[in-house]
Amino acid sequence: MSKPVLVVGSGPAGLSAAHALASAGQEVVLVEKEDRLGGAPILSGYAKLVPSGEWAKDAIGGMVKRVEDNPLITTHLNSVVDTFDGEAGAFVAKLKDGTSIDAGATILATGFTHFDSVNKPEWGFGTYEDVVTTTQVEQMISSGQGVRCPSDGRKPDRVAILLCVGSRDRQIGREWCSKICCTVSANLAMEIREELPDTNVYIYYMDIRTFGLYEGQYYWASQEEYKVKYIKARIAEVTSDGKRLIVKGEDTLVKRPIMIPFDMVVHAIGMDPNVDNMTLSAVFGVDLEKYGFLAKASSYASMSGTSREGVFVAGAATGPETIDDSIAQGQSAALSALALSRGAKVEAAE
Amino acid sequence: MPIHEVSLIKPENIIEHEELIIDGVDVSGHWSTFIEPRAVTDYNEEMEKEISGLAGGEFIHRCWQCGSCTNACTINAMNSDFNPRYWIYLIRMGMEDELLIDKDIIWQCVSCNKCTSACPRDVNPEGVMKATAHWLELKGHTPKPNSMIFDEGFSEQVFKTGKIEDGLVLRDFLSKSGQSLNQPWLISMVFGLVKKLPLTMLTRLGLATFFRPKTRDWGNARAAIEEYVAEKEVEKHQLLGLDGHQQKDMENG
Repeated sequence: MSKPVLVVGSGPAGLSAAHALASAGQEVVLVEKEDRLGGAPILSGYAKLVPSGEWAKDAIGGMVKRVEDNPLITTHLNSVVDTFDGEAGAFVAKLKDGTSIDAGATILATGFTHFDSVNKPEWGFGTYEDVVTTTQVEQMISSGQGVRCPSDGRKPDRVAILLCVGSRDRQIGREWCSKICCTVSANLAMEIREELPDTNVYIYYMDIRTFGLYEGQYYWASQEEYKVKYIKARIAEVTSDGKRLIVKGEDTLVKRPIMIPFDMVVHAIGMDPNVDNMTLSAVFGVDLEKYGFLAKASSYASMSGTSREGVFVAGAATGPETIDDSIAQGQSAALSALALSRGAKVEAAE
Repeated sequence: MPIHEVSLIKPENIIEHEELIIDGVDVSGHWSTFIEPRAVTDYNEEMEKEISGLAGGEFIHRCWQCGSCTNACTINAMNSDFNPRYWIYLIRMGMEDELLIDKDIIWQCVSCNKCTSACPRDVNPEGVMKATAHWLELKGHTPKPNSMIFDEGFSEQVFKTGKIEDGLVLRDFLSKSGQSLNQPWLISMVFGLVKKLPLTMLTRLGLATFFRPKTRDWGNARAAIEEYVAEKEVEKHQLLGLDGHQQKDMENG
């Protein structure tokens, strides 16, 4: 029997990698720093997932259960890897509690961190209670509480969703597109209109990037079936007149300044590199790319390589990623790790 | 002029006092010039609902502002102020004041439907132009256009008799739109008809002018149509929030 594969992180990518390995008869050690498996969709209480429309707790919950029930997978919760030594085929990882793990290969599925909207103070988060994030709206929906203004629990008459909060913004050192926020926002806008048909939802955008098939399912559907309005404007600031929030900006299509009252403003927050990436980089000896995500090796030889042989990566650890693609990358990394732990060498694709 | 070349300062927004003294300082004339802010301070959500409720406007909410309609537009080629893309946006956001600036050219749409073919989202911009012109008229912003006067006279006759008599349609239209029967084109057309049409047809035309034929057993159909039209009128007036007074004016006018 070959040495187990160490999987770090148990979001969609980690769960998928662990399950794929176990399906092939490979022993897996899964290390999770939080007190439960599931990653962002579970920990942040996402509502219905894109594009399946299934509740996160059911869809990701199923993946969790499958991993928990698998005898080939050993799980360490509330645990982080302290030291990581050796080389491909013979790594030794030590956990915080002293446990030592021999591993043939490692998959880092360490995910991302949600952008903290406090870093864009001009958009009112942290100043006004009714300025919330997409994650909070997900929680309002998934908890069954419904979309309500946090200040007084009223149903909002009018909701503004601001796109690119923490994305595509050199001012705060985040030049990347977080890839999923347009689609998630269109999805949430439809959920809001579904729950509160009298509530008007406006989305303020710079570009709409509901790529691929999401175009029809989310962008078109939100406009055509749910009458969500899209306004090309990057908002300058969110203030208040004492009663309602005031969204200020320029409507670039009519070339006029706008100062529109809203009951609720939602920040479509982006995906930051995991706050632990510096530590992960040091512990596992892998490079970060220029924004601080885990750097990928060339994709052409093997999809999931990092700068260190035998250490693979999957999911949003390498940059903004969808849940479906994270799952695919988890399986891809699993195949690379499996091959290595059974003694195969990855041929260069030259 | 394309929108992006239009001056951002509208003459009516420039305020200047010929004689003005503030705290003993004479600021008459251009010393007191200021420009009222152009900021849009609210969206009128009713406007899109109203126009999308009128025939032709149903798909206005699909628009994503690509400008294909304006690029395809026959009238825009001659008058660049004629901008369906822009008006659709104003309607969607409820910027009524801005729309009213163009109220006197919106009716100019010639229904060539090049926009309809160009539109990637099936917004039916031609229909929106019609609905908008109708909305402007119902709200009292523009007088009833001749085309509407013609349509109404035409339909009225059909509703009444189940048929149309061309001569009456024409006379009715000219009189209701305040035009004289003494139109050179009309006279030459009548002479042309008299000269070229066979006698039997002329006789039939002549008879129809005096004894207006009706479709047989039209009564039931007429009642049903009138009921439907009345129902639609009420719906339209409720949708647009027109009160009884305005409604009466409309029926009379």
